[in-house]
Amino acid sequence: MQLIIRKVSRILQNHNNLTAVYALVVIIVAAIGLISIAAGEITFEKDQLYPKTINPDSPLNPYDRGGSPFVPADIKAQYPGNFPAIGYITGYLSPFATALIKISPYFGTTIVAHPGGILDEILYATRGLDTIVETSILFVAFTTAMFLFRRDEE
Amino acid sequence: MYEAMTASVTASMPVSESAYGFTQTDIEGQALFSLPFGDIVNFLTPYTAVLFVFALTFTIIALISKPERQVDTVMGGDAYYTKDISRETLRFQRFMAIACGLATMGGIMAGDVFNFTLFTAFIGITNIGIVAAVKNKHILDNAFEYGLLAMIGTLPLFVGAALVLATTGTLSMWILFTPEVAVPLFAKLLLVIGVIAEGMAPVFVAKAEITRAPGAPYILMVHVSSLLIFLRVIEIVISM
Repeated sequence: MQLIIRKVSRILQNHNNLTAVYALVVIIVAAIGLISIAAGEITFEKDQLYPKTINPDSPLNPYDRGGSPFVPADIKAQYPGNFPAIGYITGYLSPFATALIKISPYFGTTIVAHPGGILDEILYATRGLDTIVETSILFVAFTTAMFLFRRDEE
Repeated sequence: MYEAMTASVTASMPVSESAYGFTQTDIEGQALFSLPFGDIVNFLTPYTAVLFVFALTFTIIALISKPERQVDTVMGGDAYYTKDISRETLRFQRFMAIACGLATMGGIMAGDVFNFTLFTAFIGITNIGIVAAVKNKHILDNAFEYGLLAMIGTLPLFVGAALVLATTGTLSMWILFTPEVAVPLFAKLLLVIGVIAEGMAPVFVAKAEITRAPGAPYILMVHVSSLLIFLRVIEIVISM
């Protein structure tokens, strides 16, 4: 018993082994998960809060969430009362985007990528705090990279 | 209702009157107040309020204090030397420590599982920044290992949040904490091991050099944030 403890602590005290030990733990947990999925304990809930349907005929495909300018789209939200203007954001298109729709049915990605195109309601309004935190993470990561890169210049 | 809530976000609101229908959970009691951001409704309970005050206190300490200067004595002689912290390193570490404190406060207040995992990843990134600023071979070696750990840790962390959404159909803790909604054990396990890596628990196990790096109180933010985020994830996992 003592021998095992000694062996385990010898592995754990070396910080170069940490990643391997942790990866092993992740693999064990993933194995447990695969077994529980096979056993049928984990099932997909049909009634999803954020449903996504793809309509291949829409010129906004695959970003179409419905609605037209100044007519609200039907957007599901956990707490619709927190956002009175729900549905208007994703419905709005700039005149340029509306013109693009008429030219070709294959400009969906272009319309999303240019300013004034589709704004995903769930991404930027009802779950907007997530997007703010995501960009903050990127900002802090770039700050670290910048500091480490410029430190050697002096 | 919406206007009334935004007008008095700091006022305590009895939960029975709230629009979100929070129920009593095992360890944290009723929500004291809620702060709605659309579908993400942050809240504080007596338990998380204590954690929040801790995080706030240490952030203020990092904001106003000067860094320590560690003194090393040379074995077998009278000589000693002080580790100096350059102005640039100080400013960077202070910025990262404050960002880390804000991320910790966000994670403690989070009322949404995905938002919580995002704040946890945020804490991981700022922790890497704090320790990577120390120019010491051993500490940078550790920081590299910790960086790898945090990168691997994001996988179980976000898979855990995705599984919660897939198996329950929602991410809001107000609904997940009710007894009617069952979250599978696998999703909880993934969340916990994800937070373990982001909160640098394996590094503490190895007593790596990183945990004794010069530059307190900024380095202390690493310990405070990881401790508080562990306490928070345990509360979430028990309540779900």
